[in-house]
Amino acid sequence: MVAGGKSALAGRRVLEIADESGVYCGKLLADMGADVIKIERPGGDAGRARAPFLADRPGEDRSLHFLYMNTSKRGITLDLDRAESAPLLRRLALGADIVLETLPVGRLDALGIGHASLAAEKPEIVVTSITGFGQTGPHSHWKSSDLVAGAVGGPLHVTGDADDPPVALAGEQNFLMASTCAAASSMIALLSAARTGRGQHVDISLQETTLSVSHISGVGKWLDDGIIPRRVGTGLTASVPSGAYACQDGRVYLMVNRPAHWKALAQWIHEETGNEEVLDPLFEGPSSRRIEYRELLDLFISDMTALHTVNEIFHEGQRRHIAFTPLQSTEDAARDSHLQSRDFFVEVDHSATGPLRYPGAPFRPESTPWSISRPAPRVGEHNQEVLGGELGLAQETLESLGQAGVI
Amino acid sequence: MDQQALADLKVVEFTQGMAGPWIGRMLAWCGAEVIRIESHRVPGVVRLYVPPAAKDRKIQPEMSPWFTDWDAGKLFVTLNLKEPGGAELARKLVARCDLVVENHRFGAMDKLGLDWETLRGVNPELIAISSSGFGDHGLHPGYVSWGPNIEAMSGMAWLGGFPEGQGAMTQYAYPDSLSALHGLFAVLCALDHRERTGEGQRITLAQLETTVAMIGPEMMDQLAHDQAPARLGNRSTYRAPQGCYACAGEDRYCALSVSSPEEWHALCRIIGREEWAGDAHLASLAGRQQAADRIDEAIENWTRSRSPQDAAKTLQAAGVPAGAVQNTEDQYRRDPHLAERGYFETIPHLKKGEVVAPGIPLGLTGTPGRTPRAGAAMGEDNASVFRDLLGLTETEYADYLATGAIEAPPEPNPENPRPTGD
Repeated sequence: MVAGGKSALAGRRVLEIADESGVYCGKLLADMGADVIKIERPGGDAGRARAPFLADRPGEDRSLHFLYMNTSKRGITLDLDRAESAPLLRRLALGADIVLETLPVGRLDALGIGHASLAAEKPEIVVTSITGFGQTGPHSHWKSSDLVAGAVGGPLHVTGDADDPPVALAGEQNFLMASTCAAASSMIALLSAARTGRGQHVDISLQETTLSVSHISGVGKWLDDGIIPRRVGTGLTASVPSGAYACQDGRVYLMVNRPAHWKALAQWIHEETGNEEVLDPLFEGPSSRRIEYRELLDLFISDMTALHTVNEIFHEGQRRHIAFTPLQSTEDAARDSHLQSRDFFVEVDHSATGPLRYPGAPFRPESTPWSISRPAPRVGEHNQEVLGGELGLAQETLESLGQAGVI
Repeated sequence: MDQQALADLKVVEFTQGMAGPWIGRMLAWCGAEVIRIESHRVPGVVRLYVPPAAKDRKIQPEMSPWFTDWDAGKLFVTLNLKEPGGAELARKLVARCDLVVENHRFGAMDKLGLDWETLRGVNPELIAISSSGFGDHGLHPGYVSWGPNIEAMSGMAWLGGFPEGQGAMTQYAYPDSLSALHGLFAVLCALDHRERTGEGQRITLAQLETTVAMIGPEMMDQLAHDQAPARLGNRSTYRAPQGCYACAGEDRYCALSVSSPEEWHALCRIIGREEWAGDAHLASLAGRQQAADRIDEAIENWTRSRSPQDAAKTLQAAGVPAGAVQNTEDQYRRDPHLAERGYFETIPHLKKGEVVAPGIPLGLTGTPGRTPRAGAAMGEDNASVFRDLLGLTETEYADYLATGAIEAPPEPNPENPRPTGD
């Protein structure tokens, strides 16, 4: 499980006070080698009660979401609402390079660990906040969720079939994008602090990250052409042809953008089906030229894909440098031969679950490899190590805090 | 007073599409000097823009809003990398930079004499990221793909959408932006490592892997149980009710999510179902999930006569997470919150005067970013980059132009860009 070699973020420490909107940010930093200390409420984080569970049986170490999102972190418990926690929390925060938090706006200040307060003592500290709408503005106190972020940020409006209501993507992508943005931005703030000695408050808004990630047909294009994109199923409005096409045993996805790719595709359709019309120069050139012929071209393509299996279209299409790929189920993806050939899925052994397979590296740095250095922590697993060993609390103090329900 | 966060960073881009260029766009916004290398023989797809309203239908490579969105703030040079002199100048640029961002087709850089070993040879502390659909090894690293192809392969598209449907795809080539954000994070980690050790390195990114990692818990479910996870549509395993509800007007919706008892009670009051607040069965998540259809119907009865903005405002005032399903016009014209935060960025544009672009969502309050310029032509910065930055003499510059290593204006007819097939 522990890969050999150095870690890019070895020696960097992160204090994580994060719900499901920020937990992936902590994972990104932890899997790159940062020492991420996750604070959970006594009894364990709410995320531990979140489905799906291993073998469909709930349990504090059985949530697959929690197990995946908290790899490589250490875990301690602390009740933020208790007065006794405040000095501990402040010492933990000041011991970190980055404080990552997803509390409602203002709550961090109330806990005495807002950026200004920490920076007075440690100017280089970075505080990264992820909230639904950001730290300022009239909606800064509004509540959010992954679905609400997808609504106000725009993806919902353009996702799904034209005749259906808007629909979310699988896997709470708005939370994951905000988390990824927060991780990148935290690193920029750290690099800047290394030069100037001054850290900063990173203000990540779910609405804004979602909007920026999904803006392909966004404000600039709309101001230019007045077209408000809407739901169109599987194709991209701007790329013609594009979309899912039925084969004998499943579906393939095709996207044509460059003029040369269209020519190669038209030639192949002609060879397979005898269609002469598809060779008409009218359809040649960049994608935008073909927009008004989308439905006709979809018919031409479907006539060809219907003659073959998914794998035939995939590999012969690729041989011709046309971007045909299978539309895979999660089962297909789990068995995908290319991913297998790259050993993408990794095995992680957790004392409560035994070994399970996890998706592996989202990118591969060659000298400082991505790696899962430990499984998700059990509830309070590192209380002794962090609060006793590192903060130096006496054993009896730890015990009395435990009895009082603070940790 | 505020120095930009990455003011010292120098970046060279060998990129196309969005997945590579968006990394450079964000770095440039943070103050980095980002030089993008282009060629007239293979104009970037984001430049291949024909304004739908323009009668002559000609390609407008500098006017494309996609080009602003992914490339504003950079310097643009044109090199024919297939000419020895072109590749040589590219290596000279790499020698003076910190970071190379590359997302050309598998093997393309090697053929040009710009492979990793060569680049590290000219710059031992170099950091480089190669981003591609399938990575640099394995069964078929050379296969071609665009973002949506990867979304289709990853299982994400199949798992999205309503339970009775066949999946759902984004309209925005999602794997491109998500691999850009992951790539950005990866190079920043490598920079942090280099700051402390002096060691550069190469990072490879397979967009297929990045995308599968985005449905991690669902894939673990698949891997552990050998059965497909359920399609949830707009519902959630830990929030109920949750959905997108039809409002007054055509194609208008409001989204809301309930998780806590307080939120549930507030929702019951708002939709006029106070009796549900006292219903023990509906007090639990499981109870509300079982009754989801009935609850959704009651919510929609309430939303249907309201605008999505009014519905969201009422719900939020009572502490219920909610938001209008906004389109581009809503976000730009009718979202007072985005306006007050100054989310959209107005950028000086070389041809239009100025242009509005989506904001860069990095939230760096201490070192705010900015975009100095949009709408550069291909080769716009040839003279300043090759003469001023690289220090070519007038004669040397002229020689490179004469051999075609530096591609010169006038541009070839943009109606016939003669792409070479990547």
